Amino acid sequence: MTIKHILIGALLASTSMGPALAQDNTDITVVLSEELDLVEPCMATRSNIGRVIMQNISETLTELDVRGNKGLMPRLADSWEDKGDGTWQFKLHPGVTFSDGSALDANDVKHSFDRVFSDQLTCESARYFADTELTFTVVDDTTIDVKAEPAQPILPLLMSLVTIVPSETPMEFVRDPIGTGPYVMSEWTAGQQIVLERRDDYWGDQPAVAKATYLFRSEPAVRAGMVAAGEADIAPQITEDVADNRDTDFSYPNSETVYIRIDQTVEPMGDLRVRQALNAAIEREAFIGTVLADGTELATAIVPPTTLGWNADLVPPAYDPDHARELLAAAEADGVNIKAPVEVIARTENFPHVTEVGEALVQMLNEVGFNASLRMVEVAEHEQYYSKPYPDGRPAQVVVAQHDNSRGDPVFSAYFKYHSNGTQSGVNDPKVDTLIEQATATTGDERAALWSELFAYVQNDIVADALLFHMVGHSRVGARLDFTPTIATNQQLQLSEINFK
Amino acid sequence: MIKLIGQRAIASLLSLLGLMVLVFFLSRLTGDPAVLFLPIDATEAMKANFRALHGLDAPLFEQFGRYVWDLLQFDFGQSLRKARPAIDVVMEAYAWTLPLALITLSLVVVAAIVLGSLAAFKIGGFFDRMVSIISLIGASAPDFWVAIVAIVVFSINLGWLPTSGVGTPLHWVLPIAVLFIRPFGLIVQVVRGSMLSALSAAYVKTARAKGVKNLPIIFVHTLRNAMLPVITVIGDQAAAMLNGAVIVETIFGFPGIGKLMIDSILQRDFNVVLAAIMVTAVAIFIMNMLIDIAYGLLDPRIRH
Repeated sequence: MTIKHILIGALLASTSMGPALAQDNTDITVVLSEELDLVEPCMATRSNIGRVIMQNISETLTELDVRGNKGLMPRLADSWEDKGDGTWQFKLHPGVTFSDGSALDANDVKHSFDRVFSDQLTCESARYFADTELTFTVVDDTTIDVKAEPAQPILPLLMSLVTIVPSETPMEFVRDPIGTGPYVMSEWTAGQQIVLERRDDYWGDQPAVAKATYLFRSEPAVRAGMVAAGEADIAPQITEDVADNRDTDFSYPNSETVYIRIDQTVEPMGDLRVRQALNAAIEREAFIGTVLADGTELATAIVPPTTLGWNADLVPPAYDPDHARELLAAAEADGVNIKAPVEVIARTENFPHVTEVGEALVQMLNEVGFNASLRMVEVAEHEQYYSKPYPDGRPAQVVVAQHDNSRGDPVFSAYFKYHSNGTQSGVNDPKVDTLIEQATATTGDERAALWSELFAYVQNDIVADALLFHMVGHSRVGARLDFTPTIATNQQLQLSEINFK
Repeated sequence: MIKLIGQRAIASLLSLLGLMVLVFFLSRLTGDPAVLFLPIDATEAMKANFRALHGLDAPLFEQFGRYVWDLLQFDFGQSLRKARPAIDVVMEAYAWTLPLALITLSLVVVAAIVLGSLAAFKIGGFFDRMVSIISLIGASAPDFWVAIVAIVVFSINLGWLPTSGVGTPLHWVLPIAVLFIRPFGLIVQVVRGSMLSALSAAYVKTARAKGVKNLPIIFVHTLRNAMLPVITVIGDQAAAMLNGAVIVETIFGFPGIGKLMIDSILQRDFNVVLAAIMVTAVAIFIMNMLIDIAYGLLDPRIRH
C-alpha cells in the first residue's frame, strides 16, 4: 500500500466520521451551557440538572403550567384534596410504570420524599420545605396522605418540585436514574454528552422527539454557531449579542429579577429617605437596549409578573435626581451621615454585562451625592455579603443580585428576601413578617391579596430594596423544530413540548 | 547523568510535598463548599449535613492528616460535585489533555525549528521577514479571538470542520490549530535568534570552507548547538499545555484538565482540585526530567 493510498483512506475515514449535521429524522441535539455533574433525580430543581431530567426522565406529582393559565396541573397525581388538619390526599394515576418496568405506587412516593429528607444525601429539593415536617401515610397503592406541620397550603405546588423514584432506589446519588418519564437515559459520557431515548411503554402520550443528545459548551457564540451550522437544534441561554437571527432566535422573560438588596442595619441605609434617594437616583430605562437586552422589563416586585399576587398597580420608582438630592439633604440635616462609604457589591458573570450595570449604578448614585464604589466579586465571596450572617463591622453595603422564581408563587422568594429571619433579608419589619406568614398560611384569592399587599408595602412604604429589572433570555431554535422557549426554559426543557415542522 | 537525575528527583519530591501542604490549606481559605454546592436558601441543617457527609466539619489539621493518609494510599477522595473518585475524574480529563498537548507540541517543535532555522540562515530575506511577521502575529493573537474566528470561518461559513466537541479526528483540527499558534510564534523567534548567533561561530565558517552544503550546516552542525535555549522555551510551553489549555478547552468543549481545574476551583471541589494539581505537578516533574536529560545529551558539560 502506498503512502498516497494511506492518506486517501485516512481522509475518507475522517470525512465519514464528520460532524453530525442537520438531522432529517426525529432525533434532536440540544447544546447546553453547563455540564451535568450529577443525574440524580432529587437534584432536578438545580437548573443544569433539571433541564435534562425534569419531566423527561423523572416526573413529579403535580406540574405548574407555564405556557398557559391552567395553574397547577396533574402529572403523576390525578387529583388532590385538602383533608384538613394540614393533610392533603393525593390520588396517583393508575397504570404508570417506571423505565425499569416496575409499577408506580404510593410507596414510591413515600420513598422519594424519604430520600429528599435523608441525612445520607444532600438533596436540593429539601430546601423548598424549610422547616415543614412531612408525614406520609400510604392509604392504598394509588392513594397517599401527606400531613404537613405546620400546615402548608401550597403543598400541591411544592409537589411539582420533587421527582418520584422507585422504592428500590438506594440512599445515595444514582448515576442511572429510573423514572416514570417519557425518556430513559441511554448514554452518559462524562464531559461530552448525555443521550435520552423515548420509551415505548410510557404511560402518557408519545412525544415527537425519539432521541435527544445533550452536548455542553460554555461559550454562547459556540452554542449559537452550532445551531447555525446544523450541529445542534436548540441552544438555550445564548447572549443577546449573538442572538442576531430573527428566524431562529427567541427572546422571552426568563424569570430572573435583578435588584439591589439593601442592608438597612448599617448607616446611612437605615434612613427611609436615603433608600428613597437611592431608588430615585437610578435611571432604569437607560439600561434597556444599551447594556441590557431589548425586552427587559422594569421590576416592581422580586418575582416576575406571572407569579401569584402580582400587583399590577405598582409602578417603578421614577428617575428624579433632583428629588434624590433633596431627600439626601433632608437626611443629612437630621444628622444622617450620607457621605458614609457605600459599597455596591456585584457578582462577576451573574448576568450579561453585570460589570457595566454596576459601574453605571455607582455613577448614578454618586451623581446625587452618595459616596459609592463598586466591588466585583466571584460567587463564593458574593454569597458572604448576600447571605446571613453578614460580616461584622462592615461598611454600608448594597448587593446587586439576581433572583429566579419561575415556580408561580412568591413563597419561594418572600421569606428569604424580606422576612426578618430570611437568609438574604435586609429588612426587619414586623408587618412584613406578619404579611409573609399570613400569605404563606392561606390559599386562593386571600393568598394573592396578601402577596399583593406585601409587594406594595415593601416597595412604597418601607422601600426595602431597589427593584431593577425582569430579565429576558435568548435561545436559538433550529428551523426544523416547532418549539417556543418559555419562562421555565431556564429550569427545565420538556422534550415532549418539542415538535417538528 | 544518573546523579543529576537523582538530585533533580529529590528536589522535585520536596517541591511536591510543599505543594501538597500549600494547596490544601490555601484551598480551605477560599470559601465553604457547602455554600457553593447547596442552593443559596439551603437551611443550616442541610449545610451541616453536607459538611458532615464530606468530612468538612472536622478540624482543619484533622482533615489534612486524613488527606495525607489517604494520599499515601493513592486515594484522593470523592469529588463533591460528581460523587465519584476525584482521581478518576482527573485521569479522564488527562486522557484528553495529554494527546492534545503532545500532538500540538510535536507540530510546534518541528515547524518552529525548521522555519526558524531557515529564516536565520537567510537573515533579512523575504522568507525571514514572512516568518518573523507570522510568528509575531502568532505570539500576540489572543486565543479566544482566534478560536471564535476559526469557528465562524471554518465551521459556520465554510462548513469544513465541526464547531466543537471531540467525536472524530476532524474535531481535533481547530483546537490543535488554535493551540499551535502562540507557542509556535514564541519558539520560532527563539530558534531564529539562537541560530543567528550559532551560525556566526567559527566552526560554521570552517565547515563552509570545507565545502559542506547549507542544509547539513544548519541541521547537523549548528542546530544542536542552538538548541539549549530552545529546549528551555519548549519546556515552558509544554508545562503550560500540561496545565490545560483553558480557553481552547472551554470554547471547543474539550473535556480536558484545564477546564476541569477551573470548574473545580469555582465549585470548591477540593478533592478534584488537589488531585488535578498533584497529577499535573507529577507530569511537569517528569517533563522537567526529560528536559534535563535532553540538556545532558546536547551538552556534555552538563552531563559531566
